[in-house]
Amino acid sequence: MNGSQSILLLAALLFSIGLSIVFIKRNAIMILLGIELMFNSANLNLIAFNQSRPLSLDGQLFALFIIIIAVCEAAVGIAIILRAYHYYHNAIPDQISELKEKN
Amino acid sequence: MTAHLAQDSITLYAALAALLLPLLSFAVSTVIRNRFSRVVSLMAPLLLLLSFLCVCFITTQVSMETPFHFQINWFALADKEITFGFLLDTRVTLMMIVVSGISFLVHLYSIGYMAGDPGIKRYFAMLGFFTFSMMGIVMANNLLMIFFFWELVGFSSYQLIGFWNNKPAAAMAATKAFIINRIGDAGFLTGLMILWAYGGSLAIDTINITGIPSPYLTLAGIFIFCGVIGKSAQFPLFTWLPDAMEGPTPVSALIHAATMVAAGVFLLVRVYFLFTSDVLMLIAVVGGITSILGAIGALLHFDIKKILAYSTISQLGFMIMGIGAGDPFASELHLYTHALFKAGLFLCAGSIIHGLHKASVEKSMDVQDIRKMGGLAKRMPVTFLSFLIMAGGLAGIPFSAGFLSKDAILTGLLQGHIIFLIAGFGVSVLTAVYTFRLLWFTFLSKDSLPEFIPREQIKDPIPMMRIVTIILAITSLWLMISWSPVDFNGWISNYAQGGLLINSTLITATSAIVIVFTGLIAYLYFKNKTISKKESNVLLSNFGFDLLYKKIIVTSTLRLSNHTLHFDRRWIDGFIHLAAYAQVAFAHFMGWWDKSIIDGSVNGLAMAARGIGSVTRSFSSGKIQSYILWSMLGLIIFIIWILF
Repeated sequence: MNGSQSILLLAALLFSIGLSIVFIKRNAIMILLGIELMFNSANLNLIAFNQSRPLSLDGQLFALFIIIIAVCEAAVGIAIILRAYHYYHNAIPDQISELKEKN
Repeated sequence: MTAHLAQDSITLYAALAALLLPLLSFAVSTVIRNRFSRVVSLMAPLLLLLSFLCVCFITTQVSMETPFHFQINWFALADKEITFGFLLDTRVTLMMIVVSGISFLVHLYSIGYMAGDPGIKRYFAMLGFFTFSMMGIVMANNLLMIFFFWELVGFSSYQLIGFWNNKPAAAMAATKAFIINRIGDAGFLTGLMILWAYGGSLAIDTINITGIPSPYLTLAGIFIFCGVIGKSAQFPLFTWLPDAMEGPTPVSALIHAATMVAAGVFLLVRVYFLFTSDVLMLIAVVGGITSILGAIGALLHFDIKKILAYSTISQLGFMIMGIGAGDPFASELHLYTHALFKAGLFLCAGSIIHGLHKASVEKSMDVQDIRKMGGLAKRMPVTFLSFLIMAGGLAGIPFSAGFLSKDAILTGLLQGHIIFLIAGFGVSVLTAVYTFRLLWFTFLSKDSLPEFIPREQIKDPIPMMRIVTIILAITSLWLMISWSPVDFNGWISNYAQGGLLINSTLITATSAIVIVFTGLIAYLYFKNKTISKKESNVLLSNFGFDLLYKKIIVTSTLRLSNHTLHFDRRWIDGFIHLAAYAQVAFAHFMGWWDKSIIDGSVNGLAMAARGIGSVTRSFSSGKIQSYILWSMLGLIIFIIWILF
C-alpha cells in the first residue's frame, strides 16, 4: 500500500462520515458541518491524485481554491440558516414545513 | 281551379261541422252544471239543426260524378298508410240527411218526452254522442274508421238502453245488447284483418280485391257480415233488439229503428263490391230467415214497442235479403224510407205511452200493452193520423214511400232465386197483417183501457211532439221517392244511382193487389175478434233463443271459466309463484355477488391505489435529508450499473 492509497482511503472515510452526518443530524448547522467534511475529503482526493505527478502542484492549488469557495459557501449557508432561525425560531429543516400540506 | 278548390274546402268545413256539432252538443251537455240542464234541452236540438243544415249544404255540393273525397294520412304501418277522411258520394249524403234529420227530430221530440227527467243532461249528451258516431260511420272513407265509430255507436246504444239505470231490466238489456254486439264485432274485426293482410288497404276506394285469394275474400265477407248480424239484429243474434226497448222511446226511434241498426245495412251496401256470390247467398238466407222470424214475432207480441222492434228486425232482414239476392240500391232506398216511417211509428208509440202514463199518474200500469188500449183514435187524432200514414208505409200500401221501396226490393229479388221472391212476398203479407193488428188494437178496436183512467185526460202530446210525428208522416208519402206513386225510379234514384233497376209493372201490380187484399182479410179477421189474453213463454224468451243461448253458451262458458279458473290457480299461479321464488333467490345471490365480488374488487382496486399512492407520497415527504439519501442511493446504484 503506497502513500496515495492510504490518503484515498482516509478521504473515502471522511466523505462517508460527512455524508452520514448530512443524513443523520437534524440541525442545519450540523448538516453544514457534514458538507464541510465532504469538501475536505474532496480536497484530500485532489492531493492524493497529485502524488503521481510530484513535480506539479495542481492538486494542492485546486484544494486551496476549494477551501476558499467552501469558506464562502459556509458563510452564505450560515447566513441563510441564521435568517431562517430568526424567522422560524428553529434551525431544524424538517420542522420548517410551511409549504407542506398539513395532515 | 282555385274556385273549385275553395268550394271543396267549404264542403270540407261543412262536413267537419256536420260531424262535430253533435260532439259539441255532447261536450256541452256533459260539462254544463246541473242547474242549467234546461239550457241543454234547447241547445242540443239547435246544434243538431245546424248539423242538419250543413248536411243539406253538402248534399247540394256533391253529385254522382263528383263525389267529395278528402283524406289525410293518419299513421303508417310499415309501408302501408292508414288514411283518415271522408268519402261523400250521393248515397252517403242521403244517409247523412236521414241520420242528422231524424236525430234532429228526435231531439225536438225528446224536449217534450223527457221533460222533467233528472238525467236529461246525460240523455242529450249521449244522443249527441250517438249522432256524432253514426255520422262518423256514414262519412268515413275507410273501414278502420268505420270500425271505430261502429264501436262508439255500440257504446252510446249501451248507455241509452240503460238510461234508466235504476231499472234492473234496463241494465240487463243494455249489457245484453253490448255483449251480443261484441260477438258480432269480433267477427267484423277479423274480417278487417283478413282484408288488411291480403288486400293491403282498408280505405274503401283502394282495397284491391283482385289481389285477395277467393277463399279469403269469401271468409272476409262472412266475417264482416258477422258484424252486421250483431249490429242489425239479424238471425241468430237478434235477441238483443226486443230487450233494448227498455230504453226511452225516442232512443228506440233513433237508434233501434232508424239509424244504428241500419248501419249494418249501410255497411253492406258500402262494401258490396267485396262480397263473393257465396257470401251474398249467405246474406240472403240469413236476411230471409230473419225477416220471416221477425214478422212472426211482431204478429204475436202484445207490447207495442216490442211489436215495433220485431217489425224492425223483420224489415232489416228484408233489406239484407234484398242486398244478398237482389239490388243493393233497392235495399238502400228501403233503408231511407224505413228509417223515416219506423222512427215516426216509434215516436207515435212514445206519444201513446207518454199520454197514457200521464193520464194514469196515480196507478201504475203497463202502458205499453196493446191489450189494454183501443179506441185511442178518438182521443189522440193527430197521433192516430200520423200513425196511420206511417203504418201504411210499413205495410207497404200504395201511395206510400214504403210501397215504392219495398217494390224496388221485390223487383231486385226477381234476379235471384225464386225462393227469395216468395219469402219477400210472404214477409210483405205478414207485415201487412201485423201492422193492421197493431193499428186495430191500438186505435180502432173498442176501448179496453183500465177503468180507472180518466178518458178525457188522454190527449195528443204537446205541439212540438205532434209536429215531429206529422213531419215524419209526411216524409213517409210516395213523394219522398218519386213523383209517380207507382215507379220507384224517381228523383232519389236519379240523384244517387241512375236507375239500374227497371220498374216491373208485374211486381208493382202484384204487390199492390196482395197488400190490399191482405189488408181486407186482416180487417175481416180482426174485426170481431178480441185479442187473446195469454202470452206464450216461447215469445217472451225471443223464440227460445234466449233459453238456447243460456243453456248452451252461458252454462258452458261458466263451466269453461271454472275449469280455466282451476287451471289458473293450480298451474299458472303455481308457475308464477315458482318463478317469483326463483327470482327472489336469484336476486339474493346477485345481491351477495354485487356486495362481495363486484364491490370488493372495486374497493380492492381503490385500496391498492391508495396504498401505492401513500408509498409514492412518502418519498416526497418534505424532509430534505431523505431526498438527499434517496438521490444518493440512486446515484450509487447508477454508478454501480455504469461500472459493472
